[in-house]
Formats: sequence, C-alpha cells, structure tokens
Amino acid sequence: MRLLFILGEIGSGLRRNLSMVISVVLVTFVSLTFVGAAGMLQMQINQMKGYWYDKVQVAVFLCNDGSTAVGCASGPATQEQQDNLEAMLESPAVKQYINDFQFESQAEAYTHFKEQFSNSPIVDSVSEDQLPASFRINMKNPEKYQIISETFSSQPGVETVSDQRQVLERIFSWMNGASVAAMGVAAVMIFCAVLLITTTIRLSAFSRRRETGIMRLVGASKTVIQLPFILEGVIAAVVGALLASTTLWLMAHFWLNGDLSKQFLNTPFISSTQVLVIAPVLIALGAGLAGISSLLTLRRYLKV
Amino acid sequence: MSCPAGFKRAMIRFENVTKVYEQNARPALDSVSLEINRGEFTFLVGASGSGKSTFLRLILKEDKASSGSVYVAGQNVANISSWRVPKLRRGIGVVFQDFRLLPQKNVFANVAFAMQVIGKSRSIIRETVPEVLKTVGLEGKERRMPHELSGGEQQRVAIARAVVNRPGILLADEPTGNLDPITSMGIMGVLDKINQNGTTVVMATHDDDIVNEMRRRVVELKNGKVIRDEAKALYTSMIPVVGESRRLRDASGEELDRAQGAQL
Ligand SMILES: Nc1ncnc2c1ncn2[C@@H]1O[C@H](COP(=O)(O)OP(=O)(O)OP(=O)(O)O)[C@@H](O)[C@H]1O
Ligand SMILES: [Mg+2]
Repeated sequence: MRLLFILGEIGSGLRRNLSMVISVVLVTFVSLTFVGAAGMLQMQINQMKGYWYDKVQVAVFLCNDGSTAVGCASGPATQEQQDNLEAMLESPAVKQYINDFQFESQAEAYTHFKEQFSNSPIVDSVSEDQLPASFRINMKNPEKYQIISETFSSQPGVETVSDQRQVLERIFSWMNGASVAAMGVAAVMIFCAVLLITTTIRLSAFSRRRETGIMRLVGASKTVIQLPFILEGVIAAVVGALLASTTLWLMAHFWLNGDLSKQFLNTPFISSTQVLVIAPVLIALGAGLAGISSLLTLRRYLKV
Repeated sequence: MSCPAGFKRAMIRFENVTKVYEQNARPALDSVSLEINRGEFTFLVGASGSGKSTFLRLILKEDKASSGSVYVAGQNVANISSWRVPKLRRGIGVVFQDFRLLPQKNVFANVAFAMQVIGKSRSIIRETVPEVLKTVGLEGKERRMPHELSGGEQQRVAIARAVVNRPGILLADEPTGNLDPITSMGIMGVLDKINQNGTTVVMATHDDDIVNEMRRRVVELKNGKVIRDEAKALYTSMIPVVGESRRLRDASGEELDRAQGAQL
C-alpha cells in the first residue's frame, strides 16, 4: 500500500514538473556521456597498450649509403660491425633485458615497406638500398629502453636506436589529454546537473507543500514524505544515465567498430560489449548524485 | 523518567513551559503549567497573540519549548527522537481554521490520504473511511470535490481526516473561525461526539457563543500566561478580575495591559 502510494506520488510529481524533469534528464545525459567518453578513452588506451607493448620493439638501425649520423662517417655498416653488434646482443650484460632479437636485412626491410604502403605511390620512389638494415629487439621490460639506447647508439655502424614505444606514447598522451578534457567538461556539466536537480526538487517540494504538510501532521514517516521527491530526482538521472550509456554503446558499435576499425586496420578498438561495463558506473553515478543532492535539498526546504 | 505521581491520568501536561520565539520579544508562553486529562474537552481562549496556537504546536512537537517540559501521554516530547515524532503525531489529530484539504482529491480520498501515508491497507481504508464520514455527518458525499462543499462540510472532512486514525488527542485551532454560528454549532456537535467516544479534545477559539453553549473547561491565556482555568465555564470569567473584563480587550485595553506588563 505504502509502495503503491509512493509510486503514485512519484508519478504525479514527474507529471507536474515535466519540463524540469526533462531538463534534468538531458543535462545528466550530456554530463554522463562525457564521463563515459573519458572512461572509454582510458579503456582504449589500456587496450592499445596491452596490444602494442608486446609487439613494439626497439630498433637499432645500421648505417646505409644515405646515413648522415656521426657514427656513420665511415660509410655503410660493415659485416664486421654487424657481427660485433650481434655479439653484444648475445652478451649477458644486454641479454638480461631482452627476450629475443632479429636481424632485418635491407631486402627484408624493403619487403615490409612495400607491404605497409602497398596502396601508395611512394613505394615506387624508394629503392632497397635507401632503407636501413636493423636489429629488432623485443624487450623484456620496455621501460628499460634507455639502457639499450645508451649501449648501442655510440657503436660504430649504428645510425640510430629508436624506441617505437615513444611514437605510441605520443598517441597515448594525446588520448589522455582528450580524456582529461572530457572529464573537465563532464565536471562542469555535472555541476549544472546537480544545480538543476536541486532546483527541480525544491520546486517540486514547494508545489506539494500542502500534501507534505498534511502528511507530517498525520504522522507519515520521514521516508514516506521524502522518498517520492528523492526518487523523482533519481529516476530522472537514471534515465539520463541510460541515454548516455546507449549513446556510448552506439558510438562504440557503429563508429569505433565500424568506420574507424576499417580505417585503422592494425588498431585494436574496444568492443561495444566492453562499453557496457561503463553503463552501471554511469547509472550508479547519476543515481548517487541525484539522490544526495535531492536529500540535501529536502533537508533544507522540506520540513518533516 | 521521574514524574510526579498522578501524571498517568494526564493526557497532556505542561510543566513550567516557556516558549520564546525571538530573543527580545516577550515569551509566547510564559511558564505555563497545566494538565489536561484523558477524555477531557478543553477550550483555550484568549486574545490574539496570547499563545493558543503556540500551546498546540508544542504538543505536536512542531516547536520546541524554550524551557520546561511538555508531556503527551506520559512521555516528555523533548525526549522523542526525530524519527519517532511521526509516531507521536499519529496519536494526535489536528484541524485548522482553513481546513487544509487537498483540492484535487475528493472527500473520500482526502480522508483516505491520512491512512495511506501511514501505510494502512486498502481494505482497512475502504472499511474505515465511510464509518468516519458517517460520524462527521458526510454520508453520501464521498465523491464530492472540496470546492463542491460548503465551509462547514469542508471542516467536517478535515475533522474526519484528523480522527480517521483514531488518535487519542484532537487539537483544533479555531475550527469555527470561518463559519457562521449555526454551522459552527454543527461542527461543535461533531467534536463533542468525538469527545464522547473518548478522544481528548483541546480547542483554541475566539467564539464566545460556542464556549458559553458548551460549558466545558476553559483555560484562558493572556500574554502567554494562564490567567484562568475553570471547569464548566463561560468564555468570560464570572469572577471579575481587575483589567480582565471583556471591554478591556479592545484597542485601548491593549495599551493598559502592556503598561501593566512593563511594570512587572
Ligand atoms: N513562528 C513564530 N515566530 C516568531 N514569533 C511567533 C511565531 N509564532 C508565533 N509567534 C508570536 O508568539 C505569540 C503567540 O502567538 P500565537 O500564534 O500562539 O497566538 P494565538 O493565541 O494563537 O493568536 P491567534 O488567536 O491570533 O491565533 C505572538 O506574539 C506571535 O507574534
Ligand atoms: Mg492562533
């Protein structure tokens, strides 16, 4: 009976304040979408890290004809220099940091290059001897790049030591920045949402002050008096959170796993199922914010 | 709880109760000590601002006494924690001069509302509400909306709502203030009937005809003090007291009262 009564009160409250309730829904929708987008970016970064960090290597490029680096003053790397480098890689001092390494000859480098840029006219303008041969090192711990770099970059016959991770780090830091920006927008929007919920609940409490006054006098409990108002805010916020979750799912499904994954074949995108993990967080966040702000408002504006 | 002997019979008990709303103003109630017994019918009379509504609000724990204690059914209301206040209020029905009905609900729903919000089952509500409406003389008007009722009928609905949960106490703050004399007598009949059924009734009023007609206990307040407490009494004291005659209640009389108050 009391439950039915409370539900009825919520219904009438929502109807009476429809325009305010809709604005609460929309503002929570937008703010939680930004929160969720920030979360998705973080998930994407982790996904890419997991995927690439296994594959990413440190490359020790050897001098070729066109090399201009100081270490290449004596011309292209000789077989002797190459053997010397290989011996160093096998030595215990270096070996402890790496899983394994491979030598990529100029011919192999050319083949890979042709594969990678098969659709591009650039292939025709590059010849085999323009590409450097390299040792591809798979690190045990990618963080130890510095040691390899210091050891090898000053060796004769070495043009440069490059950490492919650094390229990725740049991408990740860009994505991190975007996720921080999304969080910033989210914070402002959440602030708006809280203010709006507060105002809505206050109006709602004011427009029903006669009912609540009578409820108080006949001895209705605090819960029965307050719950309809709190749930009114919570329901609006949860609807907003559901809309936000749906939007994010659609984004993951049709954009990330649709267009984008066709454009960037090698990039592992988060799946739309993974995005569903964010939904409960958004719903809890929306419900919690609305619940707390309604409760605090009622404490001030609704005598019980 | 150490309470003086004999308090059990008292439904409402004020012990040296003072209520000060604003620091520098004179107290709305000034060390009032009073006992109202179970089943009693008490009129609370006195000029505007004498503290009648304040007295009723303290019983409901709508306000807190500045000093002294208020006991309701043997319990000091100051010791009732905020989450148990609703329970206190379930034992007390209240009616006001302005009826305070819910305009979108019909008569039945207005009365049922008081039961719904404390979680009474639908079957009990369907059974009880018509009974109570009959008690207040509103049979057959269940489906009327408040705006389709006369003032007297609206007040009957308000009374029905106040007593539908069978409270031990009924507080009425000028319930006949908006009604003509004949309608008022009708309302008094209803309140009397409720009192006959065992409910303790405390009614604040300015209506001398009603008080004189009913001949019940009269407690008269003046500037927050009890100046008269008489059984089976009239609106005006029959014992003449200097400065207390009805004539002195008009504007010039107020001046006199205040001058006396300042001397004290
Ligand atoms: N909420 C309040 N805040 C400040 N002062 C108040 C408040 N309520 C009442 N008072 C003051 O307390 C005094 C007693 O008021 P109260 O309402 O109890 O009088 P009353 O006897 O009910 O008057 P009336 O017959 O006009 O209803 C008055 O001086 C009033 O101004
Ligand atoms: Mg009053």
